[in-house]
Amino acid sequence: MSWDEWMPLLLLVSSLLPGLLIFFLAEERVRLRTALNMAAALVKLVLVCWMLWGVYHGHDYETRLMLLPELELVLRAGPLALFFVTLSAILWLVTTVYAIGYLEGAPHRSRFFGFFSLCVTATVGVALAGNLITFLLFYELLTLSTYPLIVHRGTEAARRAGQSYLAYTLFGGALLLLGTVWLYTLTGTLEFTPKGFVSTLAETDHPVLIIIFILMIAGLGVKAALVPLHGWLPQAMVAPAPVSALLHAVAVVKAGAFGIIRVVYEVFGVEFSAVLGVAGPLAALAAFTIIYGSLRALFQDDLKRRLAFSTVSQVSYITLGIAIAGPIAAIGGVVHLVHQGVMKITLFFCAGNLAETLGIHKVSEMNGVGRRMPWTMAAFTIGAFGMIGAPPIAGFVSKWYLGLGALEVGQDWVLLVLAGSSLLNAAYFLPILHRAWFCKPLGTWPNEHNFGDKETAWSLLLPPLLTAALALAAGLLALLPFSPLAWAKLIAVREFYQP
Amino acid sequence: MNGESYATALWLVIVWPLLLAIPALHSRLPLPRHLAIIPAVVLISLPADISLILPWLLFQTELAFTEEVRWLLLMSVAIWLTAATMTKPSRNDPDESRSTTFFLLTMTGNLGVILVTDLVGFFSFSTLMGYSLYGLLIQGGDVEVRRAGRLYLMFLIIADLLLFEALLLAAFSSETMQFDAVRDAMTGATASQLYVWLIVIGFSLKAAVWPTHLWLLVIFNSARPATTLLLGGVPIAMALFGAVRYLPLGQQNFDVLGLTLTIFGVTIMLYAVFRLFTGKHPKRLPGWSSVAITGLFVTTLGAGLSDPVLWRAYEHFVYPFIATTGILLAVLIIATLQSQMTEDSSVSVFKHANSFNLWIKPWISMLQRWSMDSLLLAQSVRHSSWDIPQKQYQRISDRKPSGRFFNGWPAKITLFVLLGLALAWLAV
Repeated sequence: MSWDEWMPLLLLVSSLLPGLLIFFLAEERVRLRTALNMAAALVKLVLVCWMLWGVYHGHDYETRLMLLPELELVLRAGPLALFFVTLSAILWLVTTVYAIGYLEGAPHRSRFFGFFSLCVTATVGVALAGNLITFLLFYELLTLSTYPLIVHRGTEAARRAGQSYLAYTLFGGALLLLGTVWLYTLTGTLEFTPKGFVSTLAETDHPVLIIIFILMIAGLGVKAALVPLHGWLPQAMVAPAPVSALLHAVAVVKAGAFGIIRVVYEVFGVEFSAVLGVAGPLAALAAFTIIYGSLRALFQDDLKRRLAFSTVSQVSYITLGIAIAGPIAAIGGVVHLVHQGVMKITLFFCAGNLAETLGIHKVSEMNGVGRRMPWTMAAFTIGAFGMIGAPPIAGFVSKWYLGLGALEVGQDWVLLVLAGSSLLNAAYFLPILHRAWFCKPLGTWPNEHNFGDKETAWSLLLPPLLTAALALAAGLLALLPFSPLAWAKLIAVREFYQP
Repeated sequence: MNGESYATALWLVIVWPLLLAIPALHSRLPLPRHLAIIPAVVLISLPADISLILPWLLFQTELAFTEEVRWLLLMSVAIWLTAATMTKPSRNDPDESRSTTFFLLTMTGNLGVILVTDLVGFFSFSTLMGYSLYGLLIQGGDVEVRRAGRLYLMFLIIADLLLFEALLLAAFSSETMQFDAVRDAMTGATASQLYVWLIVIGFSLKAAVWPTHLWLLVIFNSARPATTLLLGGVPIAMALFGAVRYLPLGQQNFDVLGLTLTIFGVTIMLYAVFRLFTGKHPKRLPGWSSVAITGLFVTTLGAGLSDPVLWRAYEHFVYPFIATTGILLAVLIIATLQSQMTEDSSVSVFKHANSFNLWIKPWISMLQRWSMDSLLLAQSVRHSSWDIPQKQYQRISDRKPSGRFFNGWPAKITLFVLLGLALAWLAV
C-alpha cells in the first residue's frame, strides 16, 4: 500500500487507538489520559490539514480493504468527506479540552473518554465511507459508541433517554440496512458515485427506487432529527454538556444529515431524484421540520431543550439545501453542516458553563447572568445571532446561499420558510439575551461555584470563546480560500456538479 | 498623506470605535466615546474620493468617502459628539461600561452604514447599529422604555427580514452587490416591484414611519437624553439614506407605487402636524415632529419612484437634505430636553436629564431658541408670544404614559384614513 492509501486509515486509527488505550487506564491516571486525548486530537488535526492540502491540489486518498467477497471497506477522502472530517477533528479537539474541565473530579472518566474517542472514530468513518456498506458499518458503530455517553450519568432519566435513543436509532439503522440491501440486489454496487448510480435502472424499477429512497431517508432522518423521527434528541439532553455538544454539532445529527447528502447526490443523483419526484417532498419535509422545531423551541424553558429543538430546526437547513436541487442551494446546505456545528457547539458549551458554574438550567433563571458571566454570554450572543442569521456571522452566509439557491431553481417559497424560521429563531433566542444582559438577577444563583476572580474555569471558558470566534470568522472571512464557504463551493464543482 | 494613509484613515473610522467597544480597552481610557469619533473627524477634513476594497471581508466589502457622504458623516459626527458630551460618565455605575460598549457599537454601525458601497455591507452595519441601539435604549430604562424597546426590536427584526429578502432578489438579478450595479439591475428585473416594496416597507419600519412610530413617541418621554438624541435622529436619517441607496430612484417609473407612497407620506405629515397642534402633552412634540419627518421621508421616496425626471434633477440635494434632516431632529430633541430640564426639573419625565454636562448648556440654549423659532413656527402663530408654548412645556403631566399605546386607535386610524382619502381624491 502506498502512503496515500494509508492516510484515510491513519485518520481513523488516530482516534481509535488512543480511545482503546484510554479504556484500560485507571481513573487516577489523569495526566496520562489528558495527554493521550490531546495528542490524539492534535495528531488527527495535523493529518486532516495534510490531506486538506492534498485534496485541494487534486490528490486522491483511498483505502480499500476486502470485508467479504464483493464487499469492500472503502475509505475515500474527497472534498465532501474531508469537509466533515475537518469539522469533527477541530470540534473534537475543542470538545476534549472542554470535557476535561467539565468532568474534572467526576467518576468514570476513562470510560467516558474511551467512548468519546470511539464516537469520533465512527464519525470519521461515516465521513470517509466510499460506499454504502462502509457507511452503514460506521453509522451503526456511531449509535453504539454514543449510547454509553448519553447514559453516562447513570440516572433514571439518563437511562430512559438512552433507551429512547437506542430504539430510535436502531430502528433507523434497520431501515437504512433494508434499503441498502434492496438497492444492492437491484444494482449490484453500493459505491458512492458523483451523480449517483441508480439512474441507469429501467423505468419499471422506479416505484421500487422510490420505496428504497424513502427507507434510506427515514433511516438517516432519525439521526438528522427530521420530524416525526426527532423524538430522541430533546430527551438526550440529560447527557453531560460535552456529549450534547457532540450529539448536536460534531457527530450524530451531522452523520444523519451527511448521509442524506450522500444518498441524494451520490446514490440517487440529484437530477434523478427530481425525476423520481422525491426531492420535492424531501424539501417540504425539511421545511416543515425547520418551522416545527423552531415553534417547539419557542415554548421550552429548559435551556438545553430549547437548544435541542433549535437543532431539529437548524439541521434541516442542510436537508433543505440538498433537496432544493441546485448548485447554489447545495452550497448553502453543505456549508451549513459546518456553520451550524460551530454555532451550536458554542451554545451548548455556554449552556454547560451556566449549569456548571451557577447551576442554571432554565431560561427563566438566566436574569442578569450576563453581568456575572460576560464572556460566556458574549460567546452565546454570537452563537445566537448566528442562528438567527444576522450578518456577518456564519448563519447569515448559509441562509444567503440557501435563499439564492432557491431563487435560482424557481423555488421561491423557500424564502418564506427562511424568513419564518429567522423570525422564530429571533423569538426564542432574543428573550434569552434580553434576560441575560438587561434584566436584574433574581437573587442568588441556583448552585454557584467559586472560581476566584474568573467567571469560570479556563478550560470551560476558552472552548466557547474559540468556537464563537470561528463562527464569526466563518461569516466575516467567507471568501478566503480555505473558508467553509470556499470548500463547499469546491465540493459543488468537483463532486455534485462536475462537468 | 499618500493613498495608503487615506485608506487607513477610512478603515480606522470603523475599526477604532469597534476596538474601543471592548470593555477592557475603553475602561482604561478617558472619554472613550469622544476618542472613538476622532478618526471620523479626521476623515471629514480629508479630500473626498477615498476608497478601500476589502475583498476578503464578507462578500467583498468596499468603503468609500465621497463628497456626497461627507454631509452624512458630518451629521453623524455632530450627533455622536453631542451624545457623547451629554453622557456623564460615572465610574461608580456598574452598567457604565456596558453602556459605553453599546454606544460605540452603535456608532460603528452608523459610520459603517455611511461608508460602505455595497448592499450586504450596508445591511451588516445596519444590523449592528440596530441591535446595539436596542441595548443602548433599554439599558437602565424603566417599564415604558422597555416596552418601547420591545416594539422597536419587533419592528427591527421584521425590517431586517424584509431587507434580507430584498437583498436576495438583488443578488439574484445583479452581477455584484455594489449600489450602482444593483440599481441598474433592478430597473429591468422581473422582481423589481417586489424588491421596491420590500425596501420601502423595510426601511419604513426602521425609520418608525406611521403606524410603527409608537416606540419613537415613548422614548422621548422616558429614555436617557443621549439615547433620545440618537434614537430620534440616527435611525430616521440612516433609513432614508439606505432607501435612497437601495432603490432604483430616477431610473424607472413606478407610477402606482410612487403615487401611493406620496399620498401616504403627505398624509403622515398632515396627521403629525395635526397631532402637534392638538396634542396636550408638549413632551411629545419632538416625537410628532419626527413622525412628520418620516412622512417627508416617504413622500420623497414616492416622488423619486413616480417621477424619475424630477428625481434626477434634484438627486444631488438628497444627501445634504438627509444630513440636514438628521441635524434638525437632533437640534429639536436637544432643545426640548433642555427646555424640560430648565423649566421644571422636579416633575420632568426626562429622569436622566441631570446628566447633562454643564458646559453644554449655553450651546443648547442657543440651539433651543433657533430650533424653536424655526420648527415651532406653526405653533407660535397661534399664540401671541413665545412664552405660551414655553408654559405649555412646563405642564408636564405626572400621569404615567403606560397603557396608552392603543387608546383611541379607532379615532386615530379614522382620521388618518380620511386624510389619506382626501389627498388621494385631490391627487386623482
